[in-house]
Amino acid sequence: MNNTLNLLIGLAMGLNLMALGSGRLPSVIRTVAIQGMVLGVMPLLIEEHIQWLALAIAVGTVAVKGFVIPQLLQRAMRAANIDREIEPFIGFIPSLLLGAGGTIGAVAVARVLPLLPEHAGSLLVPGALASVLTGFVMLIGRTKAISQVCGYLILENGIYLFGLLLLKATPLLVDAGILLDLTVGVFVIGIIVDRIQRAFDSLDTRKLTILRE
Amino acid sequence: MTPGLLLFVAACALAVSIVAGPKFPRVWLALVLVGTVSLLGSAVFVLSGAAPAAEWRFAWAPGGDPIHLRLDGLSAIFVALVSVLGGAGAAYSLTYWSDHHYPRSAPRGRAWWSALVLSLVSVLVASNGLHFLIGWEVFTVSAYFLITLDRGWRQVRAAGWLYLAASHVGTVCLFAFFSTLSAKTGSWDLGPLRDRADLAPLLWVALFGFGVKAGLFPLHIWLPSAHANAPSHVSAIMSGAAIKMGVYGLMRFTGWLPQPSGFGTAIISIGAISALLGIAFALAQNDLKRLLAYCSVENVGVITIGLGLALLGASHGHAAWGQLALAGALLHVWNHALFKALLFYGAGAVLHSTGTREMSRLGGLWKTMPWTAALFGLGAAAISGLPPLNGFVSEWLIYLGLFDSVTGRGPTAWAALTATLFLAITGALALATFVKATSIVFLGAPRTKAARHAHDCTPGMRRPMLVLALLCVAIGLAPLFFLPAISRAIGTWNPAWANIAPAAPLATLTPVQVAIALLAVVAAIGLSWYSSRRGVPRTGTWDCGYALPTARMQYTSGSLAGIASGWFFWILQPEKRLRRPRGFFPLESIRLERTPETMLERVIAPFGGGVLRVSTAVRRLQHGHLQSYILYLLAGLATMAGLVLVLEVFQ
Repeated sequence: MNNTLNLLIGLAMGLNLMALGSGRLPSVIRTVAIQGMVLGVMPLLIEEHIQWLALAIAVGTVAVKGFVIPQLLQRAMRAANIDREIEPFIGFIPSLLLGAGGTIGAVAVARVLPLLPEHAGSLLVPGALASVLTGFVMLIGRTKAISQVCGYLILENGIYLFGLLLLKATPLLVDAGILLDLTVGVFVIGIIVDRIQRAFDSLDTRKLTILRE
Repeated sequence: MTPGLLLFVAACALAVSIVAGPKFPRVWLALVLVGTVSLLGSAVFVLSGAAPAAEWRFAWAPGGDPIHLRLDGLSAIFVALVSVLGGAGAAYSLTYWSDHHYPRSAPRGRAWWSALVLSLVSVLVASNGLHFLIGWEVFTVSAYFLITLDRGWRQVRAAGWLYLAASHVGTVCLFAFFSTLSAKTGSWDLGPLRDRADLAPLLWVALFGFGVKAGLFPLHIWLPSAHANAPSHVSAIMSGAAIKMGVYGLMRFTGWLPQPSGFGTAIISIGAISALLGIAFALAQNDLKRLLAYCSVENVGVITIGLGLALLGASHGHAAWGQLALAGALLHVWNHALFKALLFYGAGAVLHSTGTREMSRLGGLWKTMPWTAALFGLGAAAISGLPPLNGFVSEWLIYLGLFDSVTGRGPTAWAALTATLFLAITGALALATFVKATSIVFLGAPRTKAARHAHDCTPGMRRPMLVLALLCVAIGLAPLFFLPAISRAIGTWNPAWANIAPAAPLATLTPVQVAIALLAVVAAIGLSWYSSRRGVPRTGTWDCGYALPTARMQYTSGSLAGIASGWFFWILQPEKRLRRPRGFFPLESIRLERTPETMLERVIAPFGGGVLRVSTAVRRLQHGHLQSYILYLLAGLATMAGLVLVLEVFQ
């Protein structure tokens, strides 16, 4: 059980690096979608007795993160007629290096942290830290609004991994609420992206500095 | 019951006058006069002992606390003062700031005037910390709008902002004071708490908060520009009543709370410094209203000396001189309000008729403005503490307290001795200041065309001045008549001192005062009889035996005060520019002298400039790039994590 879980988390960490390294928006969106689905399956592996509650969470997460959100993003991209190339702030190689360094650092830090004995062997904590760091690198290093949304999704996936530590303590309602927030957020950003494109002829967030006050 | 009824009538009349004021000036004046006369009536009821000090509690609870009002001896003193200045200023403003001259600002000014008077009274009668603060804030804001009535001028707006900013620094301290007080006592209700020794340190916070409003040195920075740039009736009520709210706060809470150690000495030192430096700054001014404004710092200093000595007397158990000092301080609160308002009205009349406050552009106004000049002269004599007027009575009481304290050879003797010296120097400089103000403005020959064509004030402006002048003379000649009121306030401040009023010194003073007044009247009548019989020849003033004298040969305001203000150049730091005449046919020569507000321009402004520079540099971080903002966030998180790690390691 734990091995399967660790394998999936390792997969998610690899997907982090893929997201950092890919140069085209659709592939980033796809990577994030796959990562979301991988994470969505995890509650089923953690719970010993699969209840309808855990099942509902897993199905909901997979549906929203794997299908709804990517659909919304792709529609926004199509509607705004966005150039598919990513113009990075931080180049692909440096961001890959940062991501890899972050992942190694996360594994190292997780050993130092005072964790519960049942979590000590799993990759949950390093995976969560690595995803949060990757999310930050994407948020800082990318210029296009959509790629920033992807960064934000990866960041959220990291937080979700942390949340899995507390799966038994968190009520379903909280998970559902987070998922709903996320969907609405992406939905709204999808609309805003279109508006930004029309108003500014670009989705480069570097140009959105006039409204800073 | 009667004081309550009168207070209710006053509140109603003033509230209606806020609404009616902008449209109907005469109705407004009538309402304000009704309101202020009822206020005065309620204060007189309490002060004369016809009605006991009253408290009212209501079920209505704005802001979550039920209203609790209190009119006792101490607040009645200040209510009386607000009512006199509120009524006189309203009457004065109707001609001085008329709809005809100021069609836009005059209606606004009337509404704010009523609001100011109402809020001042609400501060005085509030016995609940929350409502005290609300009243205080409304009073601060309405005073701001009155100061900036003429807001077309840049320096008026600047003065208003400075006032608002400084006031709020003080208000922050008052918030801290009242909320800590309510947290420690468990209720916003105010009242005597003399046995709670743990509350004593709070008085230091109150000293700062109320000190800003009272204009104690060095917290007076807002005062000169605000008083100089406000319309004169506003300057009068600001100087006479509004800064007295700071004094009221100090007196109120030093009476209710136990004093921390060293508080009396601190107050008396602050008072002495304010008095001396206030008058030093006043002496060096060339702007008539700025001079009067600095003189308010001096007079608040004198009041504070009296209060400080009373605190020393209370803590060392010397009722005799403590009482004298407090009586002097309380009477000086009244006196300063009366003669300072009179002087500001006089300055307003001069400004109204010549269009300038610069003393170097005036001169010789006694001939064209005899009423204003005579009333201003009376006010100047009173503020200089000359007998037989009221300024002398109150300063004399403070002096007596100081002397008794010095000759008592107690632990307070040194503080009292130093304060006596400061007060004496202050008195001499005050006389010099008002010799300068009166002589430069009203004596000599007119220096400009505007001064030559001046006209005297209208009866509408003269009447309030006459009332104030009469009150000055009345307190000077019959101080015993006002003593019961003062002793009732002393009894409120310290119940142990009730019923032992310092009557004896005043009883000996009265005949002397009356005799001096009679002598002055006889001398005046004799002189006028002599001159009318002999036909005294009239020539130009200051002609010094020259064949062709000009007005420029006169002393200027700078040269008259030059020597005395030279003693204070270390604090005044005057800015001088001098180009001497050169050669046989000198073309141009210049001598400019300006006295800056040292605390503001040399201490606070550089400090503010530094803060502004640092914040401008920090503001460069806010450039609108989302990516960098997220980086800041990450850096902040990393720093916090690092901090936690480091702390863990060290522990």
